[in-house]
Amino acid sequence: MRRAIITREELRRILEERARTGSLYAPVAGRAGYEWKRVSAVAEIADCSGEPHTRVPAKRFLFPASEEIFRFRGAEAVESETPGRTVVFGVRPCDGRALAFLMRFFVERAPADPYVARRRENTLFVGIACNEPADSCFCLGVGGGPHSTAGLDALLVPLDERRIYVTVCTERGAELFSGFPEPAPADEEERRALERRAEEKISFRVDTQKLKEILDRAFEHPVWERLAFPCVNCGACTLLCPTCHCFEVTDEKVRGATSRHRVWDSCQFLLYSQHASGHNPRAHPAARFRNRVMDKFKYTVEQVGEVSCVGCGRCIRVCPAGIDIRSTIEVIRAEVGGA
Amino acid sequence: MEDRVELLRTRAAALLREQVVTGILGFLPGTRGGVAQVGLVTRAEDAEGLVLDASCTQNIAKYLLKVVRAEGKVGVVARGCEARSIVVLLQERQFERARVYILGIGCEGVKKNGVLSASCVNCAYPNPVIYDELVGEAAVKESPAEIIAEDERFYALAPDERWRVLEEDVSRCIRCYACREVCPSCYCPVCFVDATMPQLVGRTHHLSDNMVFHIMRALHMAGRCVECGACERACPMGIDLMRFNRRVAKSVRERFGAIAGVAPEESPPLAVFDPADMQEFIR
Repeated sequence: MRRAIITREELRRILEERARTGSLYAPVAGRAGYEWKRVSAVAEIADCSGEPHTRVPAKRFLFPASEEIFRFRGAEAVESETPGRTVVFGVRPCDGRALAFLMRFFVERAPADPYVARRRENTLFVGIACNEPADSCFCLGVGGGPHSTAGLDALLVPLDERRIYVTVCTERGAELFSGFPEPAPADEEERRALERRAEEKISFRVDTQKLKEILDRAFEHPVWERLAFPCVNCGACTLLCPTCHCFEVTDEKVRGATSRHRVWDSCQFLLYSQHASGHNPRAHPAARFRNRVMDKFKYTVEQVGEVSCVGCGRCIRVCPAGIDIRSTIEVIRAEVGGA
Repeated sequence: MEDRVELLRTRAAALLREQVVTGILGFLPGTRGGVAQVGLVTRAEDAEGLVLDASCTQNIAKYLLKVVRAEGKVGVVARGCEARSIVVLLQERQFERARVYILGIGCEGVKKNGVLSASCVNCAYPNPVIYDELVGEAAVKESPAEIIAEDERFYALAPDERWRVLEEDVSRCIRCYACREVCPSCYCPVCFVDATMPQLVGRTHHLSDNMVFHIMRALHMAGRCVECGACERACPMGIDLMRFNRRVAKSVRERFGAIAGVAPEESPPLAVFDPADMQEFIR
């Protein structure tokens, strides 16, 4: 991967040019933390110091919360337009890793999801490394890291008021960041020092292989009833999780045509697994709670070979019932794993 | 507040030891200092772990339907709004009065991200209106205005301006239903948004469908919303949900002279027809 040093002024010119020729999305201050907004000037972008990341993860650019995929009238179907060239600026490394997971899940398996694939083709993800992880962050504990480049087209590490260390991760990233000087060894050291300092702030660790083995025999264990008691199965954790990918499909009549939509769904919803027969294999709230943990640390390992929790901590921050997935894991390790 | 929590723990332990109740629904410390969790304490020695402070941001009455049984008695620690929620559940015959033992306690409000919740600032009922015993002294609080300043400003806007404000707010809704799930008054086995035959609300995040969801839920709360604010604290998108609920509560006050959950012996206001009810809309 190529590396470069750019100035904030140079970054501003690059981003604002992209805002003019296509769309530029970045975090801005919203009613609940930071939200993704289309911006035309760098001055509109939030400094992102209050929260570790945007409330809604970057997955919404590949996999929107509610999207029309096609319309048809009789036998004539027209696919809906995909957004044009987009640059998403300010993606955290946890969200970046999640984007890589979503690509593996949706596109790199047959049959590939054409809507996710098309959106990825049209989008450039520019990440910003975390120099100040929050107390809810644990990316390092699940195989990620505050300076991880996975899933991103470029990763920026602010070194000081003026200079930014850039790692160009893909050819597309090179479209934005080429012709800049390479970092000097002192710059490398500075970046590495920032990374180490950020890593030191993250203490929670998961031996994901051991956890998977524990979960392999945990399904019928009574611990789930106790862990799930405070849970109200609201779905906030799943909808705001950067790797959660479940959706429902719904058709609506729009001016004589039928419009098909894909909308985020959640395994926490009562009707998520409801069968047409009336049977619901996850009618019990504890069964739905269990499903989330199983999916993140066991089922996706079986499906695509990797754990899907990226340690972003959003579920911890938004849970109205005070549930912390790290504590959940600790209890499972102790009670089922005997650790 | 400190002494009252100690008293609460002592009383809870005693009730369990004396087998007055099989369990006590209360708050337990959140992990790493975050939001407190609701738990069912069944052993007297575990009552020591009960907490009650500004991190106890949920309406505990939500959990009652999970634990109340046809026999026996379950204890519940209830603050002002929570006791009102219990009244609503009793008025709606969700369980018999004898099935719960209410440990009433006054409230000084809860905080989200260090800031006192708006619903607590505007709270008119910090002390429980119903209880089997009261723990500690009553909370003392200045009575809020009947219509808060923020709502006065909103009601003064022209209708299309008001609509634009609401549209901007609900356009951010991702239909996570956290608001519904934390609300003790929302206990329908199948919520209207989940009805499919026939389908009542669109499932996409179209502005019109989001609006229908929020307006209809607020209408379903008429005479039943105790204004605890659990919904707006739970909303991950920061939507001002209480604005809808307060407006509906205002109508219920004006039309029926009723306030949700303060009069256990009365029927829910929208469950009764009185010939004297306002009917100026019939022309």
